[in-house]
Amino acid sequence: MINEIETREVIVFKANDGVVRGTHHKAYDHNRGSVANLFERSRVGVLFLNSLSPTRAAAGDTAVFWADSFAKQGYPSFRVDPPGFGDSDGEPPPDLLGFVNSGGYASSDSFVINELTRRFNLSGVVIAGLCAGAVSAIYAAAASRESVGLVLLDPYFQVPIATGPTGRPSIARRIFNRISRGALGNLIAIVGERMRALRMWFSGPNLPANTNFPLVAAFRSLASRGFPILVLNAPFTQRQTGQFDYPTYLQRVVGPKNRIVIQTVEGTGHSFSNPKGRATVRETTEIWLKACFPQNDLKAEEVTSQSQVRNGTTTLHASPTAAAFQRMR
Amino acid sequence: MISEVIKKTEIGEDPNYFSVPGGHLYTVLHEAENPVARVLLVGSFAAERHFSYQGWVRWARYLAARQIEVLRYDYRGVGESSGVFEEMTFDHWTEDVQLLAGWLSSRSPRLPLLLHGLEVGAILAGKCFDQGVGDGLLMWSPPVSANHALRAGLLQWASVKQLLESPENRTSAAKYIQQLLQGAIIDVQGYQWSGDLWRASIDFKLPSSLEDESIASVAYKRPVSIVKLGKNASPLVPPFRGYLENPNLSWLYDENFQRIASMVAIVTKDAND
Repeated sequence: MINEIETREVIVFKANDGVVRGTHHKAYDHNRGSVANLFERSRVGVLFLNSLSPTRAAAGDTAVFWADSFAKQGYPSFRVDPPGFGDSDGEPPPDLLGFVNSGGYASSDSFVINELTRRFNLSGVVIAGLCAGAVSAIYAAAASRESVGLVLLDPYFQVPIATGPTGRPSIARRIFNRISRGALGNLIAIVGERMRALRMWFSGPNLPANTNFPLVAAFRSLASRGFPILVLNAPFTQRQTGQFDYPTYLQRVVGPKNRIVIQTVEGTGHSFSNPKGRATVRETTEIWLKACFPQNDLKAEEVTSQSQVRNGTTTLHASPTAAAFQRMR
Repeated sequence: MISEVIKKTEIGEDPNYFSVPGGHLYTVLHEAENPVARVLLVGSFAAERHFSYQGWVRWARYLAARQIEVLRYDYRGVGESSGVFEEMTFDHWTEDVQLLAGWLSSRSPRLPLLLHGLEVGAILAGKCFDQGVGDGLLMWSPPVSANHALRAGLLQWASVKQLLESPENRTSAAKYIQQLLQGAIIDVQGYQWSGDLWRASIDFKLPSSLEDESIASVAYKRPVSIVKLGKNASPLVPPFRGYLENPNLSWLYDENFQRIASMVAIVTKDAND
């Protein structure tokens, strides 16, 4: 039994919440032709935060796949089970979604980021997360001085509809639901849509009432500082929850200082776990990482371009070019 | 927050990598104080690992707190283990069990070694037990064949896709099965299932001598216990409800700990005799 192999090692931290366990995917140095020596030259690392996933591998082991890929491109990558999940100690919070939406993991994530930076001599950490993991990533980035970028997969910016004390929808919501199912409801909805469209035409969109305002504020604050943010959305999820396009709204309100890139990954679902989804996320993120956080591994650049040609996975119309990302810098 | 680099052995759970031909298995050894027996946990298959993980880890911790040393692991090509899932076969996964059981039984002091499998893991554990590995066998919900488990997983996946996917991406379970039988590779919850895997799963089943626990115990002269888990054991088994909520499964753990204790008593008595 060994605690590290050529490309990975087990990492263990002791925090106040108990023991936290994770995996370090070792960065490859294409100039040396071997695993990079992180103490020779500091590098930007990538940390994957759990979505509503019991393990750090994520659905279909996608996080393992992406972490392996980014490490091969020279970015040491890390996946950690939060307290109460996977191999880490502790219990999950009773209201997990509420905990995530209110930034409950920010302090433990910030601790992990700080610890990784110190232990692996990182020059900064890009935080990546899917869905609820993306929400945690935004809060963690706002709370951590070592964070340098965000990769958000299908982030959401709204909170669930208010519920009464018993967990049922509030009386007002139930009355509204009842009305909205009938002909009167349809009429009200049509009139409401027209009014909203008219108002937006004159003044630009307002945030919906169920917006997670602290999250939007954290995102906006990061974006205003010129924080590099890559947002990748799955098309169908976007259609389902697409009443309000938060990333585009935030891109617009922050103005020209923003370094937000928004892409839609065609042909995949919310978990991005099918071959097309995982390949496009890998490819787009690698190009974005190299544009925003170059590691000066020239051979790595060559390998990427060659593999893009070989795999033929760049045909997706949403894939940005490295030049497009470079212009953002 | 207090930060401190610690030795993994100080905390009783030791995550590691175990070398197998062509790769490494991710393992976690749950050490016990004054252990009386060892158990190799052989978990559920591929995507089901994701849902059953919390209940499985807690079971390992439960046993370790009661003087049973436990080794759990990820199948080759799955989770934290290295390897490419679509290149793996049931032979590889059977070999994983054999190698890990060999390592666990070589630990000192010599203690009874029990194999404990869940669903497809129960078939893997049972097949190794049939070949003489282990002093006892506990199986939770062994399917008739691995194909039954795969089929159930595929049906569940197809129904989820009906809800979540756009109409143009929806495919029925029957269509998926047809594609597999024609040798196509399909994506099931992020794992690439091949026609070969599907066909091999049809014949991958328990030896007939292990279908009944009382007959098996006599035939093998080693204790065998078979437990069919109901929906109340979810998220260890389908429908995997509450896989993020850590439902209280202590009733299941208590009941099965008694089984393990009885098996250890039988093995120890036989060894003494």
